[in-house]
Amino acid sequence: MTHPIISIRHAVKTYGKFRALDAVALDIHEGEFLTLLGPSGSGKTTLLSAIAGFTALDDGSVHARGHDISGLPPEKRDFAMVFQGYALFPTMSVAQNVGYPLRVRKWSKDRIAQRVHECLALVQMEKFADRMPHQLSGGQQQRIALARALSFKPDVLLLDEPLSALDKKLRSDLQWELKSLHKKLGVTFVYVTHDQEEALSMSDRIVILKDGKIQQEGAPDDLYNLPKNQFVANFLGKSNVVNAHVIGTQGEHLLAEVEGRQFCATYDHANSPTGQVNFALRPERIRLGPPGQETFDGHIAQISYLGERCQVLVRHDALGEILVSHPTWDAALQPAPQMPVSFGWDAGACVALDAS
Amino acid sequence: MTPSALRIFFGTGSWIILAFLVLPILVVIPVSLTDTSFIGLPKDHLSLQHYDTFVHSTKWLFASWTSIWIGCVVAVVATGLGTLFCIGVWFLSDRAAMIVRWIMIVPILVPPVVQSLGFYKFWVTLGLIDSYLGVILAHVLLGLPYVTISVFASLSNMDRRLPLAARNLGASIGMTIRTVIIPAIRPGMISGGIFAFIVSFDEIVSVLFLTVRRVETLPKMIWEGIQESVDPVIAVVASIFVLITLIATSLAALRRS
Ligand SMILES: Nc1ncnc2c1ncn2[C@@H]1O[C@H](COP(=O)(O)OP(=O)(O)OP(=O)(O)O)[C@@H](O)[C@H]1O
Ligand SMILES: [Mg+2]
Repeated sequence: MTHPIISIRHAVKTYGKFRALDAVALDIHEGEFLTLLGPSGSGKTTLLSAIAGFTALDDGSVHARGHDISGLPPEKRDFAMVFQGYALFPTMSVAQNVGYPLRVRKWSKDRIAQRVHECLALVQMEKFADRMPHQLSGGQQQRIALARALSFKPDVLLLDEPLSALDKKLRSDLQWELKSLHKKLGVTFVYVTHDQEEALSMSDRIVILKDGKIQQEGAPDDLYNLPKNQFVANFLGKSNVVNAHVIGTQGEHLLAEVEGRQFCATYDHANSPTGQVNFALRPERIRLGPPGQETFDGHIAQISYLGERCQVLVRHDALGEILVSHPTWDAALQPAPQMPVSFGWDAGACVALDAS
Repeated sequence: MTPSALRIFFGTGSWIILAFLVLPILVVIPVSLTDTSFIGLPKDHLSLQHYDTFVHSTKWLFASWTSIWIGCVVAVVATGLGTLFCIGVWFLSDRAAMIVRWIMIVPILVPPVVQSLGFYKFWVTLGLIDSYLGVILAHVLLGLPYVTISVFASLSNMDRRLPLAARNLGASIGMTIRTVIIPAIRPGMISGGIFAFIVSFDEIVSVLFLTVRRVETLPKMIWEGIQESVDPVIAVVASIFVLITLIATSLAALRRS
């Protein structure tokens, strides 16, 4: 059996009484693009710096390919970090920055020059070799930081919100570049972000953190379609939360009821929920129809037009306000304020959430 | 008073204070060019005769040379020790480190006489009285606070992530200090060194306490010279003194900007 390239076991980090990491357990596999996603202060940077060796854990351990490396200093770990804000050495030129890890490893001058050239070519920055860091734009500095981290062929690349300081256009360009670099090099990426779109579009696997605890981990579409709790449902995209009474099962679905109307929902078969349960419901999975056609009746409270789709807020007496994302090209139903409508969804569009 | 009168009042006031500060220092320059054989302003014409005496006087030249080399040694030693101290404290960056930092600055606050008395008592026990080593040690201690203030200012401006980045990329602590931290704080180290040089070059109180005959620094020679004669060579020495201090200070100031 092959060991995961990094394995974090029961990691705890406290600052005074505050728990920045709370019993985090995580396996990172060779070659994957793993994203740590969470709101500000959720412990993403703390987890990354525990992996890099800057932060000593209060409990638990970090393993690399099965060996405990918790006691190893950062320079012995061979994980390259790209810092939030890049941290280029201001007194060294671009080429010296990129060659720094190689000089530290006592490579010969020729080999260093060759490798520096290769790495700069990788990020399309060959022309800038002799510049100083302060003569570069944010996006260029970002590329140099990346080239520097890749120059010594590390096993793992740790990236702490590498794109957060850049404008939107540049960010999406660099997202593509990072993604294709990952494909090309086969290096394991551990990527930190608080931008959910970035996480969804780039990752093989996403780990969602909140208050130092892992909320859920999985492939982007699994997390999006099957959120475990309300936090995940709302952090990744938008969700309606519907409270309903569970009355039983129907096939592989859960049967629930609100005011005598029934609907089906997906659930985790390991624990069958009973009683009052919260369900997550994506706005784009809800169908609108004329009154009486769908399961529930309500009326439209508000509409905002977004081009291809419009967001419709439907008010229902028992369910409250339900957000619906409705295609504007649907000629059958053109929503208007105060219009009475009915709404419903396919079996399985709704997901039962864990309590909490 | 009207605002403009106020402005004139404060404007003139600050010029007078400035003149008061600077003129007594600069007056030595015309005095050094006097054509008389006693200390005073030039009578008939300017003359370089006392400069001539100075460059031919082994006693004065020797004292100047002593002050300069002691100053240089002090600058190097104080900068080395002060920088190591600052980096250590910066890495720890906890309460104890903060307190130690403040203690380092105490020598600036203690009256020089009191401190020199302390040196004297201690140096007697160590057998360092009237030795170059004794003077250098005392001056290093007096110069250290200036070095630590200056180096610490540079360190606090440095991005805290730089040493982390260096270590992440494979550099040991020693290599990180050598290749990343020192280059980043070099400006602070150089200003600190220049300040330490000036402190040592100007210092007289501890030298009077700690030396007898063997060690003669420039300030001590001036002091002794003024007591036994009114030789205008002293004005020459003082002018050169002002010049060297001015050069060192402006070097430090230029590096700042
Ligand atoms: N040195 C420290 N001393 C005390 N508390 C700290 C320290 N470092 C981090 N924390 C706390 O730990 C928590 C997690 O911090 P962390 O930097 O990991 O958050 P993050 O998820 O990276 O947030 P962001 O998205 O804002 O970068 C925060 O609440 C922070 O205040
Ligand atoms: Mg962070």
